[in-house]
Amino acid sequence: MSRFFQAEVAGNIHLSQTHNILRITPLQPHVSPAPGQFYLLRASETLDPLLRRPFSILRWDDAHLEFLVRLRGGGTLLLRNMMPGDGIDVLGPLGKGYPEPLKDETPILVAGGVGIASVFPLIGSLHAGTRLFYGAMNSAELYLLDDIKKLAGHIHISTDDGSKGFKGNAVERLNESMDDLAVAKPTVYACGPEGMIASLLKVLKDRGIPGYISFEEKMACGIGACLGCVIKTKQGYKRVCKEGPVFNVREIVH
Amino acid sequence: MNVNLSVNIGKIGLKNPVMTASGTFGYGEEYAEFVDLAGLGAIVVKGLSLLPREGNPPPRIVETPAGMLNAIGLQNIGVESFIEEKLPFLRQFNVPVIANFFGDSMDEYVGAAERLSDVNGIEGLEMNISCPNKQAGWLVFGTDPETTFEVVSAVREVTDLTLIVKLSPNVTDIALMARVAEDAGADAVSLINTVSGMAIDIKTRRPKLANITGGLSGPAIKPIGIRMVWEVFRAVGIPIIGSGGIMDGEDAIEYMLAGATAVAVGTANFVSPAATMDILSGIKDYMTTYGIKDISSIKGGLIWER
Repeated sequence: MSRFFQAEVAGNIHLSQTHNILRITPLQPHVSPAPGQFYLLRASETLDPLLRRPFSILRWDDAHLEFLVRLRGGGTLLLRNMMPGDGIDVLGPLGKGYPEPLKDETPILVAGGVGIASVFPLIGSLHAGTRLFYGAMNSAELYLLDDIKKLAGHIHISTDDGSKGFKGNAVERLNESMDDLAVAKPTVYACGPEGMIASLLKVLKDRGIPGYISFEEKMACGIGACLGCVIKTKQGYKRVCKEGPVFNVREIVH
Repeated sequence: MNVNLSVNIGKIGLKNPVMTASGTFGYGEEYAEFVDLAGLGAIVVKGLSLLPREGNPPPRIVETPAGMLNAIGLQNIGVESFIEEKLPFLRQFNVPVIANFFGDSMDEYVGAAERLSDVNGIEGLEMNISCPNKQAGWLVFGTDPETTFEVVSAVREVTDLTLIVKLSPNVTDIALMARVAEDAGADAVSLINTVSGMAIDIKTRRPKLANITGGLSGPAIKPIGIRMVWEVFRAVGIPIIGSGGIMDGEDAIEYMLAGATAVAVGTANFVSPAATMDILSGIKDYMTTYGIKDISSIKGGLIWER
């Protein structure tokens, strides 16, 4: 069993001009991921782009791994252009994912944009009372909605431009509904863009709600050696790739 | 073909010339899952200071064309924690451990060298006088020849371990700096450290690194490293550890032809955690292809006279 292996592209679905779902088949025995863990992918041996790119695990079964890829630059363009049968170099699963929710708590999942990939594996595994707050720029960027509807009971959609659901981001939607939710022991599990996470931290603090957030930081090695991906915690800098990417909000300095 | 890969750096016998570059291999344990540590020539650990360092705020790294800029800021657990918590793990493997260290003052350099020389399991010291991420007052250790001589001499006095001085490329005359290190008693020099650089986000007009400037590494700097190793090879008699953008066996051979006795692999470890092993097998392939029995025989083998 290895965390560094070769795989083959099984499928590559272009969801839009900017997003694709890459489905790969590991060619060697590999370690199964847990929700919130991530992989570093390398599409080719080019020197430019040079470094691997990190992606949360979206979905998996015994023979496949799936990733939601957002086009950002040269590295993600190579991953977007991959064809079935292409070889891909994989490192993972890496980092510490979401803790298993306690039986008596109500998990509240919060996702913004591609952050949905990180919380997606939690959706189906939780109990019926689980809430999902999912926000995107506009209705066209609410990816995976059909899959989510099959898995989750209570979905609260928001879009920045108001083209679907609540107008605003997922955290604003969450904050608005918190007073009426009246659920037992709410605990947040979240991933999203920087601005959304900053406002989420404030909401959780003001309301005294516990939570776990998956953080993003520029990363090189992914295995704790380069110290490039640190974030500030109450115990000093911690590595997103090793101690994270999921951190208890109590640890975070903000 | 049976090939001899062993080389010597000072008193250290290396079973092959592939070492790790400080700061890119953690304290070894991060890579144990991916690399047979005993198969390495030597492990150079992340730079240590007498007291722990917090390092720079993020973002600390950014990718640039065929390279990356970093400004980690020498975050490290300190000499004592290294000795207590990390060294016992490394000692299980049959591989020389070289402790990279630095200080903010002459006293800190000497203090760290003394303490690291006082424990079993460390075979060599690599003095970082060249990290580009610290403030001006400190930088002088690696760029002013007189200060370099003074600090290397002071460290030489307190250690019998093999002493390697890691040189900065951010100088006018690297051959002069290498001669100064040799004159001050260094057993070897390693070069190059990262090249000082900078990147700006033109949308926000902000620097891409919180530290503003950082050190450039990766394939982008290889030609600079090759040139500097060649210049230093003609200037000193002590062994050279070549580094800067080594991604495969052919890059390593290029450094050796320029004059390196051994090579240090850095950024490549981030691209592939097993890079050192691939580079070693690439070196063997070259030796087989060209009928080279002893790796030392190609050192400085560049043909340049007309």
